[in-house]
Amino acid sequence: MWPKTVIIGLCASVGLIWIIESRATDVFLEATRPDFQKIPVGVVGIADAGGPDSPEGRIKLGARIEEVLKADLRRSLVFSLVDVAGLGVKASTLGTEPHPLFKQAAEQGASVIVWGKAGMKSEDKDADVNMEAYVYDAGSDEMVGGKRYVGSPSVARLMAHRFADELVFRYTGEPGIARTKIAYVAEQGVARELFVMDYDGYEPRQVTADGFLNLMPRWSPDRRFLVFTAYRHRNTQTIDMIELATGKRWTLVSLGGLNITPTLSPDGNFLAFASSYEGNSELYRMDTRTKAVQRLTVNAAGDLSPTWSPSGRELAFVSDRSGGPQIFLMSGDGTNVRRLTFEGDYNAAPAWSPRGNWIAYVCRTPRKEYKLCLITPDGQKRVQLTTGPGVDDSPSWSPDGRHLVFNSTVEGKSHIYMINADGKDLERITHIGTHNSAPAWSPAS
Amino acid sequence: MKPQKIWRKGVKNMTRLQSLIGAPLVIGSCLLMMAGCASKSVRSGGDTATLQQDRGVSGQEVPDLSLSGQDGGSLRGLDKNPSEERVGSNALMAKADPGSAARQLDELRAEQAASAAAGLRDVFFAFDSFVITEEGRQALSRNAEWVKSNRGVQLKIEGHCDERGTSAYNLVLGEKRAKAARNYLVELGVPPGQLSVVSYGKERPFCKEHDESCYSQNRRAHMVVKGGR
Repeated sequence: MWPKTVIIGLCASVGLIWIIESRATDVFLEATRPDFQKIPVGVVGIADAGGPDSPEGRIKLGARIEEVLKADLRRSLVFSLVDVAGLGVKASTLGTEPHPLFKQAAEQGASVIVWGKAGMKSEDKDADVNMEAYVYDAGSDEMVGGKRYVGSPSVARLMAHRFADELVFRYTGEPGIARTKIAYVAEQGVARELFVMDYDGYEPRQVTADGFLNLMPRWSPDRRFLVFTAYRHRNTQTIDMIELATGKRWTLVSLGGLNITPTLSPDGNFLAFASSYEGNSELYRMDTRTKAVQRLTVNAAGDLSPTWSPSGRELAFVSDRSGGPQIFLMSGDGTNVRRLTFEGDYNAAPAWSPRGNWIAYVCRTPRKEYKLCLITPDGQKRVQLTTGPGVDDSPSWSPDGRHLVFNSTVEGKSHIYMINADGKDLERITHIGTHNSAPAWSPAS
Repeated sequence: MKPQKIWRKGVKNMTRLQSLIGAPLVIGSCLLMMAGCASKSVRSGGDTATLQQDRGVSGQEVPDLSLSGQDGGSLRGLDKNPSEERVGSNALMAKADPGSAARQLDELRAEQAASAAAGLRDVFFAFDSFVITEEGRQALSRNAEWVKSNRGVQLKIEGHCDERGTSAYNLVLGEKRAKAARNYLVELGVPPGQLSVVSYGKERPFCKEHDESCYSQNRRAHMVVKGGR
């Protein structure tokens, strides 16, 4: 018995009409906080404290950092941004103490006020960047505190990200997502290589340069490594691991046939993956310390794409044992297998939310479009998250469970998009390149 | 609440979290020890040992991946008299060495030239299918004759898919297509030792438009005269 379908039309910034369909809107909103619980924050400004203009487009450092900070606070979904220009206070006139007028901030609808300044230590273009910012709580009429950062010009964005995460941590006790990263696959001529970028799409860095295919990266829980499928000499697949800081590489699995969809358990002790070396694609798990490999599935159909529950006790995976691909669940040791999805004839690429309450996956709609769906692990609630043209693939959750990244051909070329778990705020985060895919969101630090 | 207090609360929460993670771990290891006899779907210890020694599991020392490692990026909390905090480089990341890319490109071109010279024919498939059509059987018959008359040659069969569906499931479908073509060649008398299969799923499309004329080009088993290793 489904409640009447509710259709909400939203205009995405890309100019598309993005329609969110929900069959259980009341339950659906559990995935994130409803808007009314957000903390209204007013950013007075990050004043420019001197130094040369930025290389890109003569935008002052303070304005650039302010823009990054505001975007981070908006994406946190913990805060909502409130315009406090009406207070008539300029950031450039402020020091470390709150302005007396901040007591009236509540009248502007802001319960938290942020201000600061940023600049370079000298006119030298490689000189250190300074940023300081402060927080006043209008609700309690209390100075909360501040931060003073110093670093090379290349870390200016990171300073804003750090400060945003400090604010999220101060008000929620959670580490925030502004310093998280996204690993992905980018086409490079005839090759597809691994890259890592900031969660907002900036600072992309190339990780592999094999000149052939590297696919479907996943993070280690400590964020130091990526595991992925590599094609050695083009003819065979292996599951490799690379250390981001050094580029050092290990081959973890080279069993022959397919060696795909590796994923480390939340504690890092097991690597689950699919291999076809015994005939058809089956699931295995490797103990990362002893390297003992244990087979988890036994049947004539294809089993692939394992994803761990946050406790590490269960796996969701794809199997076509009942015809088309469907999502199944089992215990981490391969026992207690049961089918989770029954709607539609193609459900694949599951990703278990870090909060445990949803599994995101790719669902084929009655119109034969490949879109994102969410289902609860008990199978009781299911919602379709995206609609429209194009193929959506590879959903991956933010560590706070409030967002997903995925790749989509909705605008033609495959690019990476971010969307809230309630289907709002669709945002494209890659803008260059011929084909970007398989995003994997890092754990928080 | 004071920032210091919040910070301490955060640390306390983390400790509690660790113990929460710890408990299932202990239970998990106990289950694992019992698993060999408890379930038929799980291999015995003997099998796993064989797998480890004989089949493709790396002998390299792998670093500890458990979540007990250091954490350099942690937050230090807002402070009423903040001292200066140095922000390190945006993720220490090694520069990828593009050395092997040029070699791969040379080898790819050599393979393409050899395959074109041999006049090998590819096999095309219907949507979501790995069934060889009558046209496919004719193409494979010609390929079989060529391989049988060139005993030293290695034929690589690449499975390819169109862009619809997930990357992962298309890798499985691509392997099914390549294996279907391989099996038919073996039926025609080609020695299995001259054949190998690999799946590229939807990752190496021949055509990049989003329409059926392109999709039908990408659903194929591509025949390649194998060069190098």
